[in-house]
Amino acid sequence: MIALSINNLSKSYGRIKAVQGLNLEIEEGTIYGLLGPNGSGKTTTLGMILDIIKPDQGTYQWFEGKYGDYHRKKVGAILETPNFYPYLDATENLKIVDQIKGGKRNNFDDLLELVNLLHRKKSKFRAYSLGMKQRLAIAATLLGDPEVLIFDEPTNGLDPQGIAEVRNVMTEIASMGKTVLLASHILHEVEKICDHVAIIKNGKLLATGLVGSILSDDITIEVGSHDLDQLATVLSEFSNIENLSRKNTWLECTIPSDTNVEELNKFLFSKGIVTNHFVSRKRKLEEEFLEITKE
Amino acid sequence: MKYYNLLVTEWLKFRKNAVVSLLGIMFLVFMPTSIFIGKEFKNVPPPLPNNSIFFEFPSMWSYLGYVGNWLVFFFIGLMVIYMITSEVGYKTMRQNIISGYTRHDFYMSKMTSTIVLCLFVTFMYAVIGLGIGLWHTEGADLAYAFDNNWAIPRFFLMSLGYCSIGFFIAFLLRRSGIAVMFYLSYVILVEIILRWGVHGKMMGFKNSSINYYPANSFEDLMPNPLFRYAEAIPMDDLDFDFLLTYGQAAISSVIYISIFFGLSYFMFLKRDI
Repeated sequence: MIALSINNLSKSYGRIKAVQGLNLEIEEGTIYGLLGPNGSGKTTTLGMILDIIKPDQGTYQWFEGKYGDYHRKKVGAILETPNFYPYLDATENLKIVDQIKGGKRNNFDDLLELVNLLHRKKSKFRAYSLGMKQRLAIAATLLGDPEVLIFDEPTNGLDPQGIAEVRNVMTEIASMGKTVLLASHILHEVEKICDHVAIIKNGKLLATGLVGSILSDDITIEVGSHDLDQLATVLSEFSNIENLSRKNTWLECTIPSDTNVEELNKFLFSKGIVTNHFVSRKRKLEEEFLEITKE
Repeated sequence: MKYYNLLVTEWLKFRKNAVVSLLGIMFLVFMPTSIFIGKEFKNVPPPLPNNSIFFEFPSMWSYLGYVGNWLVFFFIGLMVIYMITSEVGYKTMRQNIISGYTRHDFYMSKMTSTIVLCLFVTFMYAVIGLGIGLWHTEGADLAYAFDNNWAIPRFFLMSLGYCSIGFFIAFLLRRSGIAVMFYLSYVILVEIILRWGVHGKMMGFKNSSINYYPANSFEDLMPNPLFRYAEAIPMDDLDFDFLLTYGQAAISSVIYISIFFGLSYFMFLKRDI
């Protein structure tokens, strides 16, 4: 089943086009990353599919229309910041969310245990650290047995320990077989958790597909010698060299996956280049992301 | 069942809220006690016979109603504004929608709780009025207390009227501070300037049409009883009644209440949250 289908969704704020004709389909059971730099339109897109922002044009449909207007009862979502009643404690806040979702729960200890907040369940929300607030929000997303979970920059503003805790909880949730939509500008977060990715910039969809298929097969080569200018000239003579750039004390370039790296080393040596640094690696999502989103 | 659940959720949200509790307690304290200020006026000026009219049936309903008029305008009106704008401030309005409410649900949760709040304050008016009246009126019974008594429904309509202004302003302006300032200044000052200054003087319609403004219509459902005496005094430049009849005030109020709730609904449905 298609969990979410987005058709030609657009939203402008004055002259700024936040989202432009976005089309996307998310299959049930996928862990989908919505990747883009800050201001790329990720939150606006999520705001529209959660009905808090009105689109200028376009449509979206949840669960192929199965739940009608009440589709959001089957979606657990955190958008930007965790939003709760500051004068209420964790249990009281979760009770309100459960009530909205039409639940009849009176005990939330299992959820609070999952996000490691059970020991602070009687503390007021306002007394929580940002990490604790974020974890409570994650607990709230799990109420009502949602079919889809949406996390918008869930590790924003957290300290390293908080980031690790939130990522652990998200990985655990992803393993439950739910459909997850994770919006983030942090690439390795998406790389680590998601199996599908959509890359957006300036509100436009630039690429979408399996994380593996978005990653190209190209090999990145780092190579250094005492004369980098001469090295650059020689490298450019080698066939299929692309994206040659200078780093601190070495040069970086890409070669197709079927190129024999040993041949490149031999070629350099035959031209009188003795390398003092030679690294061959697969391109990372980060490089791919920068490549896709560059102007 | 659906509306019951919406009300339960509102109760869960605000039962431990300090601002709502404080405003509620102030109303409940001042409503029965303010009328007793009348005890201080041992000698009342003519045409009032004596200060027992503040406490005895049937005039008590008018005096207590007028006290309630101010208290509802202030405490309950502010409570309604706070119950809407605080949800914007805490971003729980958008979270409620994200969690599963439709916009219609959220709106209805606020509207039904406003109506229930007005029913509650009207109930308190009736209970307090009954207590004070039975205590002070010799030989009075329930039948006498409620005989031809339209004060209670008028009190409800007045409460709903003030709350509907607050409700509309809260959905329009969304920010607590600005909404409260606008609400208080509109009812106390702006509407009076509009009626007498703009409508009456500048536009030259110095007639009974200046009475048909929203806050004035609500106020005239439960007006200052002494104004009825003042109306009897002839004034050169005023050749019209400056109080609406109860019937006129009720019809005008129902129209304004419908407009305020209706505009709030369409505004909330159309705007980003």
